[in-house]
Amino acid sequence: MGASRTTRIVLVLYGLLAIFLLYLPLVSITFASISRARYLTFPIKRYSTDWYARAIESSTVSDIVTTSLKVAVIVTLASMVIGFFGALAFARYQWRYRGLFQKLILLPIFFPQTVLGLALLMWFNSIGVIPSWKTAVIAHLVWIAPIATLIIAIRAYSFDPALEEAARDMGASTGTILREISIPLLMPGVISAGLFAFLLSWGNFPLSLFTTGADSTLPEWLYAKMVSGYSPLVPTVGVLSILASAGIIILALVLAKLLRRRAGTA
Amino acid sequence: MTDPADPGTPVLRLHQVTKTFGEFTALHGIDLEIREGEFLTIVGPSGSGKSTLIRLMVGMDELTAGEIWLRDQRIDQTPANERPTCMVFQSLALFPHMTVGRNIEFPLKIRGVSPDERRQRALELLQLLRLPDDYYDKQIGQCSGGEKQRVALARALAFDPEILFFDEPLSALDYRLRKTLEKELKDLHARTGKTFVYITHSLEEAMVMSDRIAIMRAGRFEQIAVADEIYARPVSRFVAEFMGEVNLFEVSLSASGEPASELLDINVSGGEYPWKNRDESGLLMVRPEFVRFLSASDTADFVVQGSLQDEYALGSRIQYEVVSSTGRRVTVEKLREDRYLGAPGDDVILGWDLEHTHLIAEA
Repeated sequence: MGASRTTRIVLVLYGLLAIFLLYLPLVSITFASISRARYLTFPIKRYSTDWYARAIESSTVSDIVTTSLKVAVIVTLASMVIGFFGALAFARYQWRYRGLFQKLILLPIFFPQTVLGLALLMWFNSIGVIPSWKTAVIAHLVWIAPIATLIIAIRAYSFDPALEEAARDMGASTGTILREISIPLLMPGVISAGLFAFLLSWGNFPLSLFTTGADSTLPEWLYAKMVSGYSPLVPTVGVLSILASAGIIILALVLAKLLRRRAGTA
Repeated sequence: MTDPADPGTPVLRLHQVTKTFGEFTALHGIDLEIREGEFLTIVGPSGSGKSTLIRLMVGMDELTAGEIWLRDQRIDQTPANERPTCMVFQSLALFPHMTVGRNIEFPLKIRGVSPDERRQRALELLQLLRLPDDYYDKQIGQCSGGEKQRVALARALAFDPEILFFDEPLSALDYRLRKTLEKELKDLHARTGKTFVYITHSLEEAMVMSDRIAIMRAGRFEQIAVADEIYARPVSRFVAEFMGEVNLFEVSLSASGEPASELLDINVSGGEYPWKNRDESGLLMVRPEFVRFLSASDTADFVVQGSLQDEYALGSRIQYEVVSSTGRRVTVEKLREDRYLGAPGDDVILGWDLEHTHLIAEA
């Protein structure tokens, strides 16, 4: 039975309202970034892209972006590797206390990040490690690697173990099975996990705040500028950061689609 | 096809093979000789240990005790990827991220065969399995159930194994396709001359394809013989019942082997019985297709009277259920053209002859 005309109108309006509320902050900061005025007021009297030019030329912004990028890329790659082997260990092999170990590994996902950040800072101090972007990588990994493992494990649980057995039966070594069967089949999961890892690391504030020491990541810098010395550079860098995230998402989606098509499951 | 009467050269020998999982013993000291070039089918109900056995033979699992010999080489400690055997899995285990051609070429690639030779061999195998050449570039996901079956076979043949194992590969297919592929498998066995070891829970599959059938029950072989032998002369009640509808009558035997039963009227002339059992009890067995409806003037070696309870159409055959005065059920099967012309409720006389009767030693 189809919905009545009134119901359809209400549903469409509800959907539009939801999208409006979701994207309103993004629209606001986009307007703020292209307003010549120091503080955002409506209607905008004069538009300018000067702040974008300044953001691109700023060595501070460049350093901050480089630090964030270093952390996010290393966290992404490490999460993909850890997640891949972790997922295989959970989904492929039967071992004692597997269930308990799985729960312990996944537990950090549910810890409040500020508490986790503080705990890691105290731990780094106690072992004499000076916090920097490198310690932030470890902090991010503690929280993000379990998420990546979970994402890849979903895919690993769904693929038939007989595929690896068949390859072994036909003479393939463990390395060949990994290269020819396991990695290609788990790759869509690995890509998704990598995407999540990058975005979670790139936008992480609570863990970075406690563990970067003298270094600073993009979310930390944005926060610092907000509380002491706001300028339109803040929304501008924010918009650039969102665009970079969107670019990464599109790239990953295209890659995943290509892989699915190659796997014949598209 | 090998001559079932010829013991032939054993290509694979299992000696006292035992497999336990914790407290549970899945296989109890299995002895088996698989002959060169034969089509051996291992049949048994779920949980009988046939899948466990095949996994040990291909090296997927380690045995708890015993030995496996491939000709004169002991292989039970040899890893699966170093054994010259190959298995077609129940799920077929075709690699979904590879084309049909790359699937077939996989074992050749592992051996370092050049791409040109691999392609050539894959195309030959497509032809052998009656698949068009253009399937070489087809994705696995685009193939039908029967085509996937053929691709899995082609891939296993590309490996060129000494023994090809099959783990219930037809079980997921519909009846019609299964029947077609059973015949194709038998034909393929004849054309390749390879040793095939097939496991299934389907008696029909075993009967259609095999040179020999091995019946498994609770981790042991009950009987290993050619299909006709197992069907006509089972060694136990389990085998008799597993091989299809059967009528079994408990009898006691005299010193001359003459059976006695309260239910049966036995009129064997001459008193010569083919069985060696004497002074024992046993089960007299007759298959439903050998039981006849008798008129008052007809005679038979074994006669039982009862009332026709029901009849069931089984396609080309009709099955009748007759219940004796003591409440014992007797099953009769007739071809449709030889059907009984009465109706349920009729009093009937059933009979059969000694030549179709077999004695099972267990009571």
